[in-house]
Amino acid sequence: MNLYRQSIAMFGIVLPALGGVLFIALGFTLKSKMLDSLSNKQTLFESSKNSRIKALEIETKLTLQRPKISHWSVLLAEESSSAVNSHLRAIAETLPPKEFQKTAFERNNAKAGFGSATAQPSSQLRIVFRGTFRTMQRAFLELETSMPQLQLQELRIDPNPNPQIPSTLLNFQVNYTAWEN
Amino acid sequence: MVTFQHPASLNAFERYQQASWMLLHSTRATNPAWYQAALDLDVQLHIRVDGLCVSSFFYERCKEAWTIGPAITEADLRDTPKMETCAAEVLKQVRTFKASSLGVILHLADEFTTAELKPTFDNPAALLDLRETAVRKPTNILDDSSIPPEQNSWRVLPYPAQGSGVVGTTITITRKYAPFLTAFRNAGESSNFPIITHALSAPLVAIMGLAQSAQFAPGKSSVAILQYPWLSVLAFFNEHADLLLIRTLQHRHLRQAPNLRQALTTTYASLELIDPDLFILPLSLDLDPGLHRYLSDTFPLSRVAIVTYPTPEVVPDWCPELVIAATPPPKDDLAPSLTFSTFRSENWALQDFLPAATEVVEVYPTRAEMLLLRGLKLARMTLYTLTVLMLAWVVFGIVDIFCSDAWTFDPNQANVIKGRLRNLTHEHQKSEHWDNLLADRSKAWTSMELLSRLFPEHCGVLVRNFAHTVRPESAPGQTKIGFMKEWRITGLARDEAVDRLNTLNTQEGIAALFGEIARLTANPAFNPAVRTRSIAINVRTQENSGFKPLPLSETFDTDESTYPFNFDLTITQRFEAADPLALNVNKSP
Repeated sequence: MNLYRQSIAMFGIVLPALGGVLFIALGFTLKSKMLDSLSNKQTLFESSKNSRIKALEIETKLTLQRPKISHWSVLLAEESSSAVNSHLRAIAETLPPKEFQKTAFERNNAKAGFGSATAQPSSQLRIVFRGTFRTMQRAFLELETSMPQLQLQELRIDPNPNPQIPSTLLNFQVNYTAWEN
Repeated sequence: MVTFQHPASLNAFERYQQASWMLLHSTRATNPAWYQAALDLDVQLHIRVDGLCVSSFFYERCKEAWTIGPAITEADLRDTPKMETCAAEVLKQVRTFKASSLGVILHLADEFTTAELKPTFDNPAALLDLRETAVRKPTNILDDSSIPPEQNSWRVLPYPAQGSGVVGTTITITRKYAPFLTAFRNAGESSNFPIITHALSAPLVAIMGLAQSAQFAPGKSSVAILQYPWLSVLAFFNEHADLLLIRTLQHRHLRQAPNLRQALTTTYASLELIDPDLFILPLSLDLDPGLHRYLSDTFPLSRVAIVTYPTPEVVPDWCPELVIAATPPPKDDLAPSLTFSTFRSENWALQDFLPAATEVVEVYPTRAEMLLLRGLKLARMTLYTLTVLMLAWVVFGIVDIFCSDAWTFDPNQANVIKGRLRNLTHEHQKSEHWDNLLADRSKAWTSMELLSRLFPEHCGVLVRNFAHTVRPESAPGQTKIGFMKEWRITGLARDEAVDRLNTLNTQEGIAALFGEIARLTANPAFNPAVRTRSIAINVRTQENSGFKPLPLSETFDTDESTYPFNFDLTITQRFEAADPLALNVNKSP
């Protein structure tokens, strides 16, 4: 008796259950692997998304800065001393010659002032002028506006050393650190 | 009709398929009648064969109602084609009862012989084993090994009375009616209607019924004489109404056994019975009515009584076995002896003499197996549903993964975007770097504006020297460094300028001036409100030794002797490394 019991148990529940478990296990394994893969892709995707947002933000900022940067690039491409001289010549043409006289110009490649504190290449420019106060101020305004790479290190203003000959002309000595590219 | 194979001849899967087919196409799993005894079913057909006639009656158990059964002839019992027709007719008739099953109980009253057990079996405790062996391997227990087992069926009957000499005997019935019952079972199988058969020995049932019909006198032995057309059965009871012996006497075409008196006399002697009561049970039509008088005359000292069993109106009183077998006595009806109680409770008198062959029974799954099969079907459905749901969940999850932006994202794009971001970052850093380096932190024209705002024209001050220096601070390892700006002015002052110098020589005074310069020149380096920078001023005033007091109209601005005071003014502005104008240390990226 009970000749069917084993067959019924085997084919009635054991094998279907094993099959079901196998299917579910396969499904879970597949899903698990896909989830792992998705997790990696998600990380990459999120990172990429953040990168894109960051890039857009930077791009927006750079869009505003680019004209300025290109202008700076042009300025920095020129050799500092010749650029200063050419600007001074241009400035001199617009100013009364007696009130603006360049009396000395010196360029030194040794690092000093701001240049000594940073790794950025720079040169030192020492320029001596004679001129009136307001004209010289105007000249400096024009020069420093045109050449923002000039960082003032020192400015000395002295009156005419001969008190017997009163004059409105003053002696100006400026030292600049000129940033180089 | 589908022919099933014995499961032993099938492999495991075929066995399962066969069982599943039965589950699907039969009512074996849902109708428990397939596995019940015929006498337990609601509708029963009782057929009694006594050699003279065949009687049949339906019994509806729930209603306890007897009705006349179909007309069955001796030919129906013996001829195969007629058996099938008869079974079909019965089945048709049974359906009118709206029955879900039928028990066919065949009462065999046309034959009854006893065969002695081997003398070695004398242990009453082994009766149950003997009972099983009589069914499976009768030759092992029979004293007479010449009787062919394939043509007969044996069942053990115990003699519960003490002192009977043997533990019991066996009742022998031929298998001549087995095909008839098989035809009924087959008809039930083919029509998916449970027909359970049971072949009873009518004399045994009648003996069991003596408990209710015979008046056993206490302390008096007795003999029951069961009169059938072809035979008489003698059942000897001791004074406790326990069975001592059963004998059968063939009538040999006479109306009663020719050797009844001798048989009784010799058995009295062997069992040492003294004038036992004699109970005559007339169990057929057309029996010798003179038996009572014959016995009264032959055994004048014995009480002779004719015993009848109360039967329903439909059932004749000469065939009480049907009623005795179908209706157990009330539970409060105490049996007069151990014999009658065990005959009923242990079914000794209700043994099936013609059961289906074991090989045939084994073809079908047992009730437990059918229930298991059915239960597992439900379990499988649940399992499949769960599996499908789980797989659906997995598939939906996978589809969800496939549909996600991250899954469809091309990893090469990440490198492109990364490269673009790197370039933009580089460009931005470069921009920031140059923005820092080119910031308006130190301009000559703004310092000159500071000087002109410190001492406007005709304010009573003559400036001798102006010196402005810028020095970066040393901060090794920092990415940004602060710096210090210093303005040093020396000159001469008149009385009216001293107040101005004093005003400037305060934190508020110089901060206000720097704030004004920042506003006018738009140069952030002069903004005093930034917390990361500080301003300090120091003014030192002393008398001018060359001062010559003159009337105001005679003085002019460049004449130093007209100024009573010398002064020395130093302004120091410090920018910390955290200041927005602090200088980048590193080179352009």
